[in-house]
Amino acid sequence: MNVSKDLIAASATPLILAILKENDSYGYAIIKRVKEMSENQLIWTEGMLYPVLHRLEEQQLIESYWNKSEAGRQRKYYRIKDTGLNELELQKQQWEVVHTALTRTWNQ
Amino acid sequence: MFELEIQIQSWSDHLRARGNFTDADISELEDHLRDEIEDLIAAGLAPDESFLISVKRLGNVDAVSHEFAKVNTENLWKHLFIDPVDSIAKKESRRDIFLVVIFALLAGTLIKIPGLFGLGFDDLGADHFYLRNMSLFILPFIAAFFLIKRKANRKTWSIIMANFIIAALIINIYPSFSPYNTEILSSLHLPLLLWLIVGAAYIGRKWQSSQGRMNFIRFTGEMLVYGVLVSAGVMVCGMFTMAIFKAIQVDAGKFLGEYYVVYGACAAVFITAYLVEAKKSVVENFAPILAKIFSPLFLVIMVSFLVVMIITGKSPFMEREFLIAFDLMLALVLGLVLYVISSRNDQQPPNLFDYLNLALILTALLIDGVALSAILFRLSAFGITPNKVAALGENLILLGNLGGLAWLYIAYFKKKLDFIKLEKWQTGYLNVYFIWTAIVAFIFPILFGFY
Repeated sequence: MNVSKDLIAASATPLILAILKENDSYGYAIIKRVKEMSENQLIWTEGMLYPVLHRLEEQQLIESYWNKSEAGRQRKYYRIKDTGLNELELQKQQWEVVHTALTRTWNQ
Repeated sequence: MFELEIQIQSWSDHLRARGNFTDADISELEDHLRDEIEDLIAAGLAPDESFLISVKRLGNVDAVSHEFAKVNTENLWKHLFIDPVDSIAKKESRRDIFLVVIFALLAGTLIKIPGLFGLGFDDLGADHFYLRNMSLFILPFIAAFFLIKRKANRKTWSIIMANFIIAALIINIYPSFSPYNTEILSSLHLPLLLWLIVGAAYIGRKWQSSQGRMNFIRFTGEMLVYGVLVSAGVMVCGMFTMAIFKAIQVDAGKFLGEYYVVYGACAAVFITAYLVEAKKSVVENFAPILAKIFSPLFLVIMVSFLVVMIITGKSPFMEREFLIAFDLMLALVLGLVLYVISSRNDQQPPNLFDYLNLALILTALLIDGVALSAILFRLSAFGITPNKVAALGENLILLGNLGGLAWLYIAYFKKKLDFIKLEKWQTGYLNVYFIWTAIVAFIFPILFGFY
């Protein structure tokens, strides 16, 4: 199924924050994780992910650090900050509201 | 050899040169690229493929890679980004169409010129003249078309054109006496010979390479198929013109016969050559598909013929017409087999069509063997004529070709050799056709005293 661009863009921030809440991660792994969690329904492009990551970093919701990968390469990891955790809670509530409303209308 | 490390390096160098990225950004993207490549390689792709796909996927980071691709034109992934309809390709295509128009006009005019000197189509003795020279009016221009397209050097130009000129001189200088057997034989074999020379122009510098020759064989098949389609279009157009002019009581027949047919035929040939050349490798080729449809059908026909021949006990007659019919059968089988072969990937394992091919060849060999023995047996009683020798020679050469293919096919099925050997043998066999057609066209008349 093709999820609309707008919906993908809107859900990007909560998804990234939620993934980083589990543990620190990096761009390539985040894309794979999203793909996996959505059972291949959400395919993110690199062109979309990195700008979002950099924006979140600017907004002080996440921070980055360099570490060695398994193959010994330098890799940029992202870690969620306390402000990010708060933001995630906020987003969660918002999506909860939307989700509940949608479910109710569809089940009536 | 594809150097992955160097390619990645040149990719990140380019990002750096763009100036929009910090070093950190670039390292991050490069790490991403490598992860992607590693995963694709792990999934079974070759390093170069993995690189191409990864770069393409990363391409939409601020459309950077797009910029990057445009500048580094030496690299192989440029094809993925640069619009195929770029200005150079456009220019070339426009030039080709221009050449097609010019050559069609030139060839058509060349055909009309002898008419000015009392050798028009309807004039006495002209039919032999046109039969002799028909291929010379058109084929040199096709050769020229490819020489221009391949940017041939002066030496290639002169060798190819010298061939045409020498052929033209010989064929027109040779005397000819009733019943004109040798002359007609020369006239029929010359186009085949000259077509192979066009082949040399088509393939270009590597005219001896197996791959180039295989492409030419493919090209010949596509030419035939498309040629029939285009000619049908030209004919329909002509008939339509006749019909509408008839409605206003004007007979367009004379004009059409004198100009439309001549120029239309020339144009059809050049348009076909242009089309086949322009669309090659972009779309799946058409001739192999036709061959795949008809080779099973033809196999059924031939097997039933063989069975009926055995049951009724009637052997094929020895008349020359029948000999020629069997030549045609072999040529047709060879064509079907070749086009199945030419559409095939060397690496792919034997499939149904390979077995069908072998069955087709073996049946053809069997039928021809029976026919040939009957013909040979009775030929000795009736003496030699040029026609019989030519028909017999053709039969033997086609037989040799098919027999060789059958032999190699069997060895291939037994895994004794690679498929590429089969192709090499077939492309090498083109030399035999070249020599034989040259012998019939130029030496037969001398041997048989021009009768």
